[in-house]
Amino acid sequence: MTARMSIRKLLVANRGEIAARVVRTARAIGIRTAVLRHPAEVDAPAHRIADEVVTIEGATPVAAYLDIAQITALAGRIGADAVHPGYGFLAENAGFVRALDAAGIVFVGPTGDVIDLMGDKVRARRFVEERGFSVAPSAIEDDNPEDFVQRARAVGYPLLIKPSAGGGGKGMRIVRDAARLEAEIETARREGERYFGDGRLFVERYIENPRHVEVQVLGDGRGNVVHFWERECSIQRRFQKIIEETPSPALTPGQRREICDAAAGIARAVNYRGAGTVEFIRAPDGAFHFLEMNTRLQVEHPVTEMVTGFDLVGEQLRIAAGQPLGLRQEDIAQTGHSIELRVCAEDADADFRPAIGDILLLDEPAGPGVRVDSGILDGGRVTTDFDPLLAKLIVHGRDRDEAIARARRAAQDCVILGVTTNLAYLDAILAHPRFRSGDVSTGFLAEEAEALQQGRDPAITDILAAATVLSDARLVKAVDSVPEIYRMMGSWRN
Amino acid sequence: MRRMESHVRPDSAEFKAASARMQEVVNRFREMQHKARHDRPQRDLDRLRRQNKLLARQRLDLLLDPGTPFLEFSSLAAHDLYDGQAPGANIITGVGVIAGREVVIHADDSTNKGGAWYPMSVPKIVRALEFALENELPVVHVCDSAGGYLEEMSGVFTPGGRVFRNQCILSKRGIPQVAIVCGHCTAGGAYVPALCEHTIIVRDTGAIFLGGPPLVKAATGEEVSVNDLGGADMHTSVSGTGDYPVDSEEAGIALAREIVGTFPRRPRAFDWAAPEEPYYDPGEIYGIVPTDYRIRFEMREVIARIVDGSRFHEYQPNYGTTLVTGYARIWGCKVGILGNNGVLFNDSSLKAAHFIQLCNQTGTPLIFLQNTTGYMIGREYEERGITKDGAKMLMAQAGSEVPKLTVLTSGAFGAGYYGMCGRAWDPRLIMSWPNAQMGVMGPEQAARTLGDVKLAQMRRADPHLSEDSVQELRDRVRAKAESETSAYWFTSRLHDDGMIDPLDTRNMLGIALSCAAGVAPGAPHYGVFRM
Amino acid sequence: MRRILEIDGEEIPVWLAATGRGHVLHMKGREIPCALEAAAGKGAWTLLLDGARIPMRIAVGEGATFIHVNGRAHAIGRTDPAERLGNTAGASQDRMIAPMPGVVVSVLAAAGDAVTEGQALLVIESMKLETTITAPRDGIVAEVPFATGASFGGKEVLLRLEPQEETV
Repeated sequence: MTARMSIRKLLVANRGEIAARVVRTARAIGIRTAVLRHPAEVDAPAHRIADEVVTIEGATPVAAYLDIAQITALAGRIGADAVHPGYGFLAENAGFVRALDAAGIVFVGPTGDVIDLMGDKVRARRFVEERGFSVAPSAIEDDNPEDFVQRARAVGYPLLIKPSAGGGGKGMRIVRDAARLEAEIETARREGERYFGDGRLFVERYIENPRHVEVQVLGDGRGNVVHFWERECSIQRRFQKIIEETPSPALTPGQRREICDAAAGIARAVNYRGAGTVEFIRAPDGAFHFLEMNTRLQVEHPVTEMVTGFDLVGEQLRIAAGQPLGLRQEDIAQTGHSIELRVCAEDADADFRPAIGDILLLDEPAGPGVRVDSGILDGGRVTTDFDPLLAKLIVHGRDRDEAIARARRAAQDCVILGVTTNLAYLDAILAHPRFRSGDVSTGFLAEEAEALQQGRDPAITDILAAATVLSDARLVKAVDSVPEIYRMMGSWRN
Repeated sequence: MRRMESHVRPDSAEFKAASARMQEVVNRFREMQHKARHDRPQRDLDRLRRQNKLLARQRLDLLLDPGTPFLEFSSLAAHDLYDGQAPGANIITGVGVIAGREVVIHADDSTNKGGAWYPMSVPKIVRALEFALENELPVVHVCDSAGGYLEEMSGVFTPGGRVFRNQCILSKRGIPQVAIVCGHCTAGGAYVPALCEHTIIVRDTGAIFLGGPPLVKAATGEEVSVNDLGGADMHTSVSGTGDYPVDSEEAGIALAREIVGTFPRRPRAFDWAAPEEPYYDPGEIYGIVPTDYRIRFEMREVIARIVDGSRFHEYQPNYGTTLVTGYARIWGCKVGILGNNGVLFNDSSLKAAHFIQLCNQTGTPLIFLQNTTGYMIGREYEERGITKDGAKMLMAQAGSEVPKLTVLTSGAFGAGYYGMCGRAWDPRLIMSWPNAQMGVMGPEQAARTLGDVKLAQMRRADPHLSEDSVQELRDRVRAKAESETSAYWFTSRLHDDGMIDPLDTRNMLGIALSCAAGVAPGAPHYGVFRM
Repeated sequence: MRRILEIDGEEIPVWLAATGRGHVLHMKGREIPCALEAAAGKGAWTLLLDGARIPMRIAVGEGATFIHVNGRAHAIGRTDPAERLGNTAGASQDRMIAPMPGVVVSVLAAAGDAVTEGQALLVIESMKLETTITAPRDGIVAEVPFATGASFGGKEVLLRLEPQEETV
């Protein structure tokens, strides 16, 4: 694998767990690595294992990691011949790809044009639909505002009205009753205008109780594409995944092949280069529709690695180095079951409010079938500068039950003290009967919110109180400074 | 040290009956004490609640380290004076633990009469400050007093100065004081916080002034609010009379605790070992000590129920046997004990004087367990010099430098009371059991002697005095003698440092010894012993 | 000796005592004998409680203690009541007192105004120096006794805030 590698030095334009993840693979295949660090950041695992740490400037750390000009210049200055963008930040920014191209530096990912195409949700959807892949029935106002309402009616119910300019669920309205359609369109338009200063809308069929199923693909930009099977990502809070697994407990072998072939077909249609993910929405009746394509490595890629045995970052780097895809689809098998838990600094009992704090004690789980992709160090600090993902616990088992058991063990053994995390919440999800039976949809966490609340075990109160006072050195010293005879007399009064 | 052997039979009917009698005596004391501590006019309680003030004993609980003891002094002070209007003399004093340090506390009890000082309040505070001086303990004053009770002003005025004098002496000796001003400190009372090293004033309820607003208006016509005249902010930012303003009593108490926590810890004198509970049940003291002081009991049985492991090394067991002397440990502290086991004869007096000197030479604190009807009288004993032998005891007492603690267990009469370290011989603490009686002589003797003298006078005036009149006189004299020899009469007038349940004796002595241990005793030196 | 713990949103006042036989936690009227033994590993301890030996990991933070026990992390708020009350000691937070005689240059707040900590309330001139008086804490202005141009004496109250609500 290393023989023809033309990348000598890789700059990882990211941070946290993914930066360390990428550095590990690069080091293993003999590529020198550099990672970034903003002055406001504390030491992270990537800083310890990378060959070089480069300081980036910026009013805020996030602004620095989004600074295309600076990062491009830095890459050139340190002599990096490739940049891995990780996920988030500049991973799907065509401008970044073009800036690197101009500087003669390899971007580990697809071309700017593919990013542009897939980054435009309306264009992507049309592209996919035109090539015969299933998308949810929809109507776009911009296509022809005159007959928008008629086209909307034809989509079928229930349907979802979305502001074209929108995001984050704002202004979205579900219509179940045909008679309400026009009134709801008007309401949605007013809301769109109010929130986004843009009243344009589009509608699509609303899938009730959907599952989120996605497929990992890999292409070499020379027409060769393979898939690495699916991932089920229906466990979401606030539209963000927190538990992913593979294989999906919902798919029959036939459905699995169908959805994976569709994904590979879509990737092939854009002559995809690098690792990507095609996301589908799957209805309870088994129908699935293209949702979007993410032109990057996903947070949840490790579950795929666990069941296929491939190092996806390694494959990315090979392809970025110009090597052709050396894999045939039949080389890629799913073995066993894998689950990923996203450990986040957030309070699951307080509407997932991000938590901050110093990591006073960190002890990551280990054991057979347990992998930890961590972005934190003992003694580090969690701030609101970045997203709340601290680490990922990835487990592998012979079957789903064993994977769940190992995931629960890992969640319970993972010690992160000093900042509130969602570990207990993740454990509660894993223990929930609906999760165990695989009967979930993207609404699962909201529907079961109450059952997943972290009820207090009254018996633990004594334990917590006792441990708290006894570990309070100042308190114990004060108590022990009381002369012995008074301690023995206690609260005696004459 | 060897364990003592007890010879009482707690299972016997007589023992149980005796125990029940003592229990009744103790119950009566406990009831009176509870009333004195907690029985308060609703009006006063309502007023405190309106003013957002804590009750005096709630303040105490917050001030002391939780889970530590508080030894209260003179809980029944003034209980039979002023028509019972000033329970505890409206003052709480005692010694407790704050931030791990022994501290003397003087807290005005504003749950009654606004905490006004009555004449008995003054010696109660003075005594507490003496205890602080002798043991070199810091003092926390919780000030919340309406001032001297006007109807009893003359009784407060002259002796009251001693409070401030003792405060000055404490300061002079480098013993710090903290005041938490929770209420008004007016006139003389203003000097209590002013003489402290650390003065905390609670905003809006606490104030310090020589003359309050009404007096100022009467004297100068000036109209001024309490806060502007002597409030927390004025005194801590303008006059400098106070040091720390706080927003609540709780905050003041927390701050006082913090301040005490900065005081140096004290070295520990005397010989200490790990404490050990008495082997024999202290509860059996009730069955051992008769409620009638005229009935003799074995003091060794009492000692066995007070000292560590019931271990006692008796000194001169066969000499002067009406006085038991020996060494033991109380809460780990090695002490020399002198206990009466009958009337004091020449030999027992000499034994006492000798043992006091012995303990002084080794720096061992002395415990006096009093049960004395005095020195033996009669021609034989006078010829043997009982008076000069008793005088040797007094001389030894006066020359003693080790701390002394006295418990009145039953009778405390005549010069025996002096010789066994009565109040005048400066015991660090002197406390009485509720059955105790004290005086120049027993009430019967007193009634008889006084009755005979009075009767003779009356007979001279009226040779035909009726039998009824004679009986009436005898009854009256006897009743007065009985009342005035009771421990209640004495404790009400601060002749002791408080009445205690016999079962509390061990803890009382332990606390007093621990307090005393902060000061190494000086070298003893004596006057002339009449040989 | 006392602490106010916050366990799952509930404030629990507790105190710890040391008896001859070890430590006793006093909580909700109960006495709970307990002991903590160090175990191997960073922050590893064994709690002895009620006859049970409970392994746990503990990290003591500034105002909270973090405990991982039975597979779950807990954050327990921990306040010394003295600290909670202690921060009210010191200078008055309610009255702004003139450090020396002077003249009010401008009045920037009126009675009833809600002000935030650090907000300028008054500008005074004393000893040829202009000084801006700022709010020592958030609150409501209760009284501004002097108008612009008025002169005041030393130690006079220049501005008073409404007493602070009890904050928990």
